[in-house]
Amino acid sequence: MSKKIDETQVERPLSTEYIGTPHELFDESENYWVIKWPRSLVHRHTYGLLTPFFRALTQGKLLATRCTNPDCPHKSTWLPPRADCPDCFERMQWVEVPAEGRIYTYTMVDYAGIGIEMKTPYWQIDVEIEGVDTIFKGYLLYGKPEIGMKVKAQFRTDKPTHTILDIYWVPAEE
Amino acid sequence: MITFGKGNLRVPRWSKRVFLVAGGCTPFRKYFPEYKLEELVMMAFKMMLEENDLKRSPKEIKDCINFAVYGEFADHFQDQLLCEAKVHDYLGLDPLYNVGIKTGGATGGSAVLMGAMAIASGYANCVLVAGWERMDEVDTRTGNFYISTAACKDFETRMGRIYSSYYAPMAKRFAWAYNLSEITRAKVAVKNRGYAMSNPNAQQPGYHTVEEVLASPISAYPLRFLECCAMSTGAACVLLCDEEMAYQLTDKPCELFIAGGSHTLRVADRRPMEIPLLPHEYPGQYDELLKENPRWPGFESFLAARFAAYLVYQMAGIKNPIEDLDFVELHDAFTISDIQTYGDIGLRPYGQEPDYIESGDAYYGGKCPSNLSGGLLGTMHAVGATGIWQAAECLWQIQGKYDYFHGHEKWWRRAGKEKPKDWKSLQVKDAKQGLWVSHAGVGSHVTVGILRKAW
Repeated sequence: MSKKIDETQVERPLSTEYIGTPHELFDESENYWVIKWPRSLVHRHTYGLLTPFFRALTQGKLLATRCTNPDCPHKSTWLPPRADCPDCFERMQWVEVPAEGRIYTYTMVDYAGIGIEMKTPYWQIDVEIEGVDTIFKGYLLYGKPEIGMKVKAQFRTDKPTHTILDIYWVPAEE
Repeated sequence: MITFGKGNLRVPRWSKRVFLVAGGCTPFRKYFPEYKLEELVMMAFKMMLEENDLKRSPKEIKDCINFAVYGEFADHFQDQLLCEAKVHDYLGLDPLYNVGIKTGGATGGSAVLMGAMAIASGYANCVLVAGWERMDEVDTRTGNFYISTAACKDFETRMGRIYSSYYAPMAKRFAWAYNLSEITRAKVAVKNRGYAMSNPNAQQPGYHTVEEVLASPISAYPLRFLECCAMSTGAACVLLCDEEMAYQLTDKPCELFIAGGSHTLRVADRRPMEIPLLPHEYPGQYDELLKENPRWPGFESFLAARFAAYLVYQMAGIKNPIEDLDFVELHDAFTISDIQTYGDIGLRPYGQEPDYIESGDAYYGGKCPSNLSGGLLGTMHAVGATGIWQAAECLWQIQGKYDYFHGHEKWWRRAGKEKPKDWKSLQVKDAKQGLWVSHAGVGSHVTVGILRKAW
């Protein structure tokens, strides 16, 4: 909390000091100026009710959510998990799912957006897991993917990133 | 299998007919430092008022407007919250109410839909729909990251940080399921970038070969750079009216039908669904296809596009799109998304999408040419403007003004370009009815609009 200032008690006239950093010109012509406008931001992002999922990754476990409401028309199992069932609106249950599956489709990411945390190129894969109703996106640590190829999950339990990158996949034997 | 309730499938019924009477746009560029954003919108607005053979002066038309809808994809790019207020004031439209619409890549289509709803409900009888995007404040890779935050930030964005890496797995899966060759994909890029050669506003026109497309650098395998649209800066607008106002303003209005559909932000979350059938499809038609690939819409198709088409074809009385439509403007942000959509909107049955290209139907002179404007690949994807610009291009085709808006020297001069000596007209003869698709995310929001000659 800053001290409350009483205008009448200010003894000397205030003078305004510029404490910013002057902006450089990025581009200029006779008709226009384009200035450089740098910034750096930190967001505070919550995982909310999905926190158990991200915590479990750091403990080497893959969790999904399942609707166990007997009246739910679909009783789906969700990975990525979601806390509330979109079919019946009931809170779902956490279940551990097998850390293995088959490649549903894939791509090789060559040109990535800024801030990419993996060295490019790398294989991004979408994994079909038995008993899970959705497809789960991740990346392959090594090997060459094929549609239908069996893969197993590994986890960054040592020095976790606290992000979805704490799980990755490697080829598994048939 | 997810099924839909009767209420979910209700076909929209508007209280009043809606017409589109005029359009305008700026040239589109990767870097556009000569103008501020609101100045670009003014350029498009003035073009709409002055160049569409309207029967009243720009000032008189301004006096008719009673509502405005603005489309802008991302505050990240503009770096200006409440940009709508800034633009609205700059266009001199206070105190009319205005709203900003945001639905990713479908922002333009959604803005037109919201404007149409205002007319249909009687809230307004003359509505400005304008959209813009200024994607040149950041470098391309920062822009790629911004756009990738329109994937799920917890589970997807960190993978790739670029949207091509979310479409590439669909391309891979589509090729696997429906036997799509890389050559067909490349042909879409060749076609649309080639058509952009006739468009003075085009950002990346070019006569390419299939070989060049496939030899261009990989963004996310199998998608090459020439198969992806680019960062774009510019604006577009259209004017919507009720029936009475439409004929007061123009002798050549087009009636507008438009509807939307949605689906999950993450493709991964798409559980098997029932396929809403279009008027020319029949129950059981997809039984075989679903036996082989039971996850429809899966990674191959877009429920949102199918649902929007399902609604709008009933609104407009379309019986068979490939027969009834004279041309289409599709959302070719990527070659693969263009191809995926052919099945969704019924230009071909699901599983036979590549044939729309291979048969020649999709080309100028073909049965139902697509993206004669140059599309997103060749001309622009200044995201908030895109679905509005597409509507304007459709209007001009039906009004028989393709040659004026693309061939007149003044537009080439405005864009700072020389009109090519071999400029080709892409006017569709006697076009009466056209369709455009505005598409977001990996199919999170899609509108399908139809314009029909109404004179």
